[in-house]
Amino acid sequence: MEISKTFTDSSLIQALRSDDPPDDAIRHLYRLYFALTAAYVTQNSGSEQDAEDIFQEVILVFIEVLKKEKFRGESSISTFLYSLTRNIWLNELKKRGRSKLRDAIFEKGKDQSDPDTSQLIVHREMKAELMQLVDKLGENCKKILLAFYFENLAMSEILQNMKYENEQVVRNKKYKCLKQLEQMLSAEPILAKNLKSVLFYE
Amino acid sequence: MNENSTHTEQLIQYLDGELQGDSLSTIQKSIEENNAIRAEFENLRMAKESVKSYGLKMRVGSIHEEMMQELKVKARPKTGILKTIYRYSLRVAAVLIILFGVSALYQYFSATPEKLFNENFQAFELHETRGKLKTSLEDMYEKGDMNGLIQQFSLLKSPQVKDYFLTGNAFLSTHQPARAIETFIRLEQLNKTNNTHFFEEDVEYFLALSYLSNNETSKALPLFEKIHADQNHPFHSAVSAWFISRVKRVSSHP
Repeated sequence: MEISKTFTDSSLIQALRSDDPPDDAIRHLYRLYFALTAAYVTQNSGSEQDAEDIFQEVILVFIEVLKKEKFRGESSISTFLYSLTRNIWLNELKKRGRSKLRDAIFEKGKDQSDPDTSQLIVHREMKAELMQLVDKLGENCKKILLAFYFENLAMSEILQNMKYENEQVVRNKKYKCLKQLEQMLSAEPILAKNLKSVLFYE
Repeated sequence: MNENSTHTEQLIQYLDGELQGDSLSTIQKSIEENNAIRAEFENLRMAKESVKSYGLKMRVGSIHEEMMQELKVKARPKTGILKTIYRYSLRVAAVLIILFGVSALYQYFSATPEKLFNENFQAFELHETRGKLKTSLEDMYEKGDMNGLIQQFSLLKSPQVKDYFLTGNAFLSTHQPARAIETFIRLEQLNKTNNTHFFEEDVEYFLALSYLSNNETSKALPLFEKIHADQNHPFHSAVSAWFISRVKRVSSHP
């Protein structure tokens, strides 16, 4: 039987800020906060599927906010996640063209204490385009780049997991893959410019 | 390897934190001074960040699937219990509604003047009037001596309104509705003659009951309807719409 690890707010924040956030910390967020945010979505014209999708988005934005040191702890994690949920769901309603409903929900919740999270989710769609760009890389390219930059594995460890002759071959492959992604970005200067503000948003 | 690819390789090494010493300061200088190299470096940095974001998305995505399974399994028994309670309550409510409906139908179709009379008849209660001596009829009524009261009434030379009223009730209590009707009507006539309104509303009720007991429902019905329609009538609460509907039923199916 798996024993789930428990976190305090500060240890959770610390864990999620790391380059490779531990699975337990992400699971902890789900166990503690999914019901709260799901209730908000379903009570405001969202389906159960909407509630699930929105929470996944909320988790991603929250972790990126933590990594950029934008969460200063002025509100509790639950308040912050609730606020993110509200903003992301309002954005989603806008996208779906349900502006009247969106306005009604916005009016209903505007008196609540609401940390300014709207700026943090403005670039969601641009981020989605970026993900599509990475998705266009071949499977091996994605594996190598993810192993190196996301999982922080050493070349020797990557070599063990993948069928290449030696470390230099892996290194060359990684070089080519990153260069390929760089070229994809430079081929779309407007997207690259916008993404720059998203990724290096201060 | 040409100059461009050398630059790219060094830029990637710089990005990965692998350069030291002269190589490090040379590439930093190139990034500062050369726009093309700086642009390439910015794109490489973006590419690296994109991979990290993509990795995070994949990681959260896979945990998301796993957690949705876990959370749904936890939520299911609760929902199951609630659903069971809800279904059970609905069944109980449905059974109660059916029983109530069957009982109401039975009461409606099995109603007879006698049943309706027995359901609604409440003997008149005599209240003491401070400082006043009781008449012999009042004394007998209070003691429940209805036959004695009736006999005593027959001996009175000029009975008063109250004597008629008590005697009418005595006839009603001893299952002599026809004589009760006769007595109450005399009381009404006396009131009319004297231009008084003694026991007017009480008589309406007990006369209606007398008609009911005497199987004269068509005469009882307008009196009961009048009492039901008047919220200030002292017997208003004793005559419900349900009672009237059953009197109507009996009246139309004698």
